[in-house]
Amino acid sequence: MAHRSINNRKGKKHLTFFILGAVVVYLLTLSIGIVSDKTSTDSYCISCHVHTQADAAWKLSTHADNYSGVIVHCVDCHLPPRGQGYFIAKVKHGVKDVYSYWTKNPEDIDWEKMKDPEEAAHFTYNESCVNCHSNLFPSTLSDDGGDAHLYYQQNRESLNCINCHISVGHFDKNRKHEHNLEFGSNNNSEKEVFTEPALVEKFEDFIEYIPNTTVSFEMVAIKGEIFTMGSPMDESFSQTKERPQIRVQISPFWIGRAEVSWDEFLAFYAQTATKGHADDMADKTDADAITGPTAPWGAPDQGWGKGKRPAITMSFHAAEVYCEWLTKVTGKKYRLPTEAEWEFACRAGTEMPYFFVGDPKDYSKKGWKRTFIDPVTEVITDYAVYAENSHFKTYEPAKVKPNPFGLLNMPGNVWEFCSDWYEVEAYRQYEDQGTIVNPTGPAEGTEHVIRGGAFDSDAIELRSANRDHTRTTDWLVTDPQIPKSAWWYSDSKNVGFRVVCEQNKN
Amino acid sequence: MNDLKKGVSRRDFLSTTVKAGTVGALTAGVLLASCSSKKTAEELGLPPLLDKAPDGKKLKAGLVGTGHRGTGAALNFLDAGSNLELVALADVFQERIDECRKKLKEKDVKIADNMCFTGFDGYQQLMEQELDVVILATPPYFRPQQFAAAIRAKKHVFMEKPVAVDPTGIRMILAAAEKAKALGLNVVTGTQRRHRRDYVATYEQIANGAIGDILSAKAYWNQSHVWYREKQPKWSDMEYMIRNWNNFAWLSGDHIVEQHVHNIDVINWFAGKTPAFAIGYGGRARRKTGDQFDFFSIDFNYGRGLSMHSMCRQIDNCANGIGEFIIGTKGMSNCSNKIFDLDGKPIWSYEYPKNEKGESSGKVKVSPYVQEHIHLVTAIRTGNYVNHAFDTAFSTLTGIMGRTAAYTGRKVTWKEIMESDMKLGPEKMEFGDVNMEFNVPIPGE
Repeated sequence: MAHRSINNRKGKKHLTFFILGAVVVYLLTLSIGIVSDKTSTDSYCISCHVHTQADAAWKLSTHADNYSGVIVHCVDCHLPPRGQGYFIAKVKHGVKDVYSYWTKNPEDIDWEKMKDPEEAAHFTYNESCVNCHSNLFPSTLSDDGGDAHLYYQQNRESLNCINCHISVGHFDKNRKHEHNLEFGSNNNSEKEVFTEPALVEKFEDFIEYIPNTTVSFEMVAIKGEIFTMGSPMDESFSQTKERPQIRVQISPFWIGRAEVSWDEFLAFYAQTATKGHADDMADKTDADAITGPTAPWGAPDQGWGKGKRPAITMSFHAAEVYCEWLTKVTGKKYRLPTEAEWEFACRAGTEMPYFFVGDPKDYSKKGWKRTFIDPVTEVITDYAVYAENSHFKTYEPAKVKPNPFGLLNMPGNVWEFCSDWYEVEAYRQYEDQGTIVNPTGPAEGTEHVIRGGAFDSDAIELRSANRDHTRTTDWLVTDPQIPKSAWWYSDSKNVGFRVVCEQNKN
Repeated sequence: MNDLKKGVSRRDFLSTTVKAGTVGALTAGVLLASCSSKKTAEELGLPPLLDKAPDGKKLKAGLVGTGHRGTGAALNFLDAGSNLELVALADVFQERIDECRKKLKEKDVKIADNMCFTGFDGYQQLMEQELDVVILATPPYFRPQQFAAAIRAKKHVFMEKPVAVDPTGIRMILAAAEKAKALGLNVVTGTQRRHRRDYVATYEQIANGAIGDILSAKAYWNQSHVWYREKQPKWSDMEYMIRNWNNFAWLSGDHIVEQHVHNIDVINWFAGKTPAFAIGYGGRARRKTGDQFDFFSIDFNYGRGLSMHSMCRQIDNCANGIGEFIIGTKGMSNCSNKIFDLDGKPIWSYEYPKNEKGESSGKVKVSPYVQEHIHLVTAIRTGNYVNHAFDTAFSTLTGIMGRTAAYTGRKVTWKEIMESDMKLGPEKMEFGDVNMEFNVPIPGE
């Protein structure tokens, strides 16, 4: 019996502890729940997130203003659904936000960059989109919508809802997901309309006038010379694709002082655009007529403005047809530069990493020591629009100083198409061949060379020898049309081009 | 597989097992375990093969496209069970409606004058009526628009195969099918082999491993020439083409799509997938009217070594035949009623109902044309949802992929055809002269 009574007492003690423990756990859970709920309200989010513009844009969006009266709150999109990693994500973002709140100045945060769907995917959860929008085919969905959602069904891995529906949470008039049929209808009526193209009699710089438009642009005469293309092994960040260095002879040519601007590209668009799909092209009866772009999807200028800013998001094909059209309306042979011409024009007689002084090592933001020491921005910031000074958008050419040939934005602002097919080992074929005259690159390929880096590039990519290439599939991944546009890239906004004019051989 | 060798059908075997349950728990356990690896008809997505749909509240149907098949489909619907009514008709041509009403009258089915709608938009007026079910049986070109309209009008649908003539139409069908799914609207299609009891029983055997993994497939529909009409002076281009729709690719999809889709669908069904690409050829040797080919021979590649040879021809005095055949790692089958071992020895066959003389009748108990409608009505009345639009859209697209391969001479991939903006037919649907050139396609051009 004694035995049992001890046991009983022990049992009671256990029970007391158990009940106490349960109460503590219950209270803890309750308080976590309360804290979690209190810290998940819109007003709580807004109290620290010092982005009044995001708050205002949200109130204008369909997630706050819609006919059903349902309001979708901050955490409904910016955290995963409960039971799908909600608390882990809440803690993760919370810690990050507190850190940013205490260490960063809101003015220094690149809000423009945050609007980019790829960037926004880091703090906008696709699971949350489909958690509420579980029916991708509501009966009210249009035929085009049906096509787009079928495409999403087949490409779920590479697509997020916000790739197309970026402005549903924060309204942005420049990011409407629809055909932009008004695009390019500029009104320049008060300016002079040019009737004749430029008359060029000598090999010197000239201003080209596009007939029947108010648009002109500058062309710079580049004398032919022999130069060394590619980078030496000992250049910081030199890569195999830039080697071996080759000796190249270039014939004289003109090249645009700046990248082709929206004004120039829109002159082309206004004169050649087709409103619909491939079918429309077949209807054109004039065999000589150049068929230009279809209406773009959304706002190709990203809302940054057009005018003298470089034209972007047009496809390589569109750039080529632009040159064809320019050739036709001016009577001069315009085309894209070859990769060799581009590098020659960029180097402008220099053999350093850049045509200005400085080492990529000091300018680049890459590497462990950048945690402690900021990269050097003096000098480079005068000549190039790049990640450190662009606020994630393009600028008018007047923002930078020219290179020794007088060219603007060769490095930075936007990548530029070259006519060569891209191949990693493109220079290898010229090895031990002495001086190569006007090389035009590999005979065939699948993607084209792009050069010069862009507003979102690190200083490494701005090096004169650096090479990259088009990514046709990636750049069209969210184009909902079937087939995808031949004229506009839906998912590239940092590539443009500049034109070259050939000297008349006669 | 013992049951196969004994020639006992799966259903018989199951019922035997149940009886054996009395023998002892251990035995039953073993037997049940041996069965559990087999998939049930429900797991295999097979239709309920009832002789008659269950009773329920009255279902009113409207028929769009009142030609021979349309009229037949409407009567099949009425035969599917009790409390079923046909109350509305729509067709482009008035006299087709008149003919249909005459045939219906013989069966004591009367349609009110104000429930008959003509013209290209007749179907839209029909959809506005109080209907539960819409039967779509016009030439295939019109199907996508009409199916989408039916789903918008929230009707259950029976639609004939093929469901479109081009990829644009296929995508319209797929999107509308998704909407139907979300709305709980049932859809049954006219690929009637999926509702033939012999095919269904054979599928059940093969899906449970009777011939192992499928290595090779053949599908063919070789027959004499089909009907055609010469143009009459009083007919405009549009009227002529619609009256002769079976001979114009934009209306029928060509016969590889319009007719051969039945066989293609069987192979897609048995293989459980759609082909990755097609290479093939075809041509026009004897056809009198229109712009279609009269023979095709296509290799459909499903990947992993599996190919379907598809043949279809509509020419008189040739070696003819219609059917399918598949060879697996352990045996082979005609897909419709027989399974053989690899030496060609029959190891299973479907047991048809016996006739008065006690011989096999060679016919399934319920016509597949009626079985389809029994399925639809059963689904509506029991809530056991069915939607065959996807499968039939994919098989139709398979046919379109083959047709494109033959017309162009190129290799055509599934992705390409799925994303193609090919859209057949004139810009506007109206009677009059049509400014379209109907050249027979030349491969390699």
